Amino acid sequence: MSMSDWNIVTRSMRTRTFSSIVTILSVAIAVGLVTLLISMRDAGENSFKRGTGNVQMLISKEAGPLPSVLNSMFYASPPTTPITWGQYLELKRSYPFAWTVPTQLGDSYMDAPVMGTDGSFFTDFEPALGSKWELATGAYFDAPFQVVVGADASARLGLDLGDSVALEHGAPRSEGGHVHDEFNFEVVGILEPTGTAHDRALFTSLESSWIIHAHDRREAIFGHGITTGINDLLDEDMKITGVYASLGERKGALVQVLSALLRDPNWTVASPADTVGNLFSIVSNIDQVLLAMAIAVMLSSGVSILLALYNSMEQRRKQIAVLRVLGASRKRVFSMVLTESAIIGLLGGALGIALSILGGVIVTNVLAQRVGIVIEPALPLDGYLMIVLASVALSCVAGVLPAIVAYRTSVVRALRPAM
Amino acid sequence: MPQNIPFGVQTPDPQSALRIKSLVHRYQRGDHPVIQIDDLTLQSGEQGVLTGSSGSGKSTLLNLIAGLMDPSEGTIEIAGTNIHALRGPGRDRFRGRSVGMVFQTHHLLTGFSALENVLAALMFSDIPRADHRDRGRELLDTLGIPTPDQRVERLSIGQQQRVAIARALACKPALVLADEPTASLDPDNAQVALDLLQDACRASNAALLCVTHDHRFVDRFDRHEHLISPLEQLQGALEGA
Repeated sequence: MSMSDWNIVTRSMRTRTFSSIVTILSVAIAVGLVTLLISMRDAGENSFKRGTGNVQMLISKEAGPLPSVLNSMFYASPPTTPITWGQYLELKRSYPFAWTVPTQLGDSYMDAPVMGTDGSFFTDFEPALGSKWELATGAYFDAPFQVVVGADASARLGLDLGDSVALEHGAPRSEGGHVHDEFNFEVVGILEPTGTAHDRALFTSLESSWIIHAHDRREAIFGHGITTGINDLLDEDMKITGVYASLGERKGALVQVLSALLRDPNWTVASPADTVGNLFSIVSNIDQVLLAMAIAVMLSSGVSILLALYNSMEQRRKQIAVLRVLGASRKRVFSMVLTESAIIGLLGGALGIALSILGGVIVTNVLAQRVGIVIEPALPLDGYLMIVLASVALSCVAGVLPAIVAYRTSVVRALRPAM
Repeated sequence: MPQNIPFGVQTPDPQSALRIKSLVHRYQRGDHPVIQIDDLTLQSGEQGVLTGSSGSGKSTLLNLIAGLMDPSEGTIEIAGTNIHALRGPGRDRFRGRSVGMVFQTHHLLTGFSALENVLAALMFSDIPRADHRDRGRELLDTLGIPTPDQRVERLSIGQQQRVAIARALACKPALVLADEPTASLDPDNAQVALDLLQDACRASNAALLCVTHDHRFVDRFDRHEHLISPLEQLQGALEGA
């Protein structure tokens, strides 16, 4: 083994371990932030759009299209304004829909939302465009008090076929919620993952949901200890909160129906994909500010490299002078300092990518839990490579000034004995 | 005991380790010369000492010989090569291979081991890389460093001096320049250090030019030259007048 420029550079970094680590960390944080933002920007929008599936229209009585989509498709919070069953049937009759799916939200199990719906939810509605529902095991519900569990909910809550669950009336962790342990729901099916918000929900029949609500009404009248069945349902119990609808391939009809519903003050109609697009166009302004901030952090990390190396030049002047005496050319000491910058950029870049992946997992989990969006913030391999290369390039630029200082070091002056 | 022979009377030899001819150096154009040497030659294996008071230009002369400064006039040849005719990396490479330097404060690379300090010098040599480690260990062993892998800052001053000598001789230079190598040592240790330096140079047949302001050791060298500072020259001129 002999000495090389590499040995000298790495040893020099090791003799300034604290400063080197702090500088690498500052680069890593900057690279991590930028990478996370870039990877999440597209992944977020794609994931949201994917979650709208093949629904062309989401019809509800919510205050506006955005809350309607967020609440009825992404389970942000339960819709507040109900639609009576009669109104739903009237709506269905009034327009030439290819299919409609009634949805009712407001109940939960543990922290998972429970959707009341009918069989068309699994036959007509595709959770992601072009991907139909698939069962991992079991079957879809075909009777009251049966539940089908989303893939994520099954994994998180440990639910399996045959398990018995008692639903809570109210949204997860909401005030005023109460568990209906008088009604036992049986898990009859577990769904395959779809990568959408639906993975964290449970699905049951509308009748089951209505019976729970009717029971509350009847208990208020008749007191505790009563039983409630399907025959006890009144019109006022039979409510839904949203309608997924599609007119199939009839684009012309779609425009007409949309226009008609938009003019009707009784309904709130949303085109889910467009609503998500609008949401992201609003968010993109914030996103650009965040990206600008991340780039500013990246630049400041470049400055920190510059300062760390520049300050170290003072103590390394003698080392550089000795190397010059031993035969190192000016260009060689220049390249040694640049190599050190490049190593900082490379290590910082690689660590930053690792941080961004870790951050992505955390953000993904938080979004899945809170908003119900399953996003996959990942870049292609060449994307990561480009970011690391950019980090190395930025570090090299930051290293130029210290390298010039090294290049111009006066050997005679640096080795002159202190007076 | 070697005899002191003034440098100026030597016959130039094309194979000489060091040959200085008509050297004049001024700090600024038009200044009085700080160094003026008509002819100075050191053969391979010869050992010379330069004395002079502070400011007489002793260290400046070493810097000129090492090619770290350019002279105002004249030539300096090391092993037959005019070092100032070389430019940029060529001069640096030549210095690394042909000139070893020992400093008063050693100027070792801190954070590196004794062996790595010697290996750092060998990086710039013609010696095959595969032989570097063996040569480094051999040199340090010869100079009495039992722990070559110990960081230099943990070695005693005397041991650091030995590492500096090993580093100066690592590339088998034609010439070793020593700038006040005993200045920071007590008389006993200075004696030991000079013994080591001179013996090591003799063993590798390298010429040695030692700069010192201490006249006690001049008898140990083959040659002795005394540099007179510009102030001393002025005083001499005034006294003569």
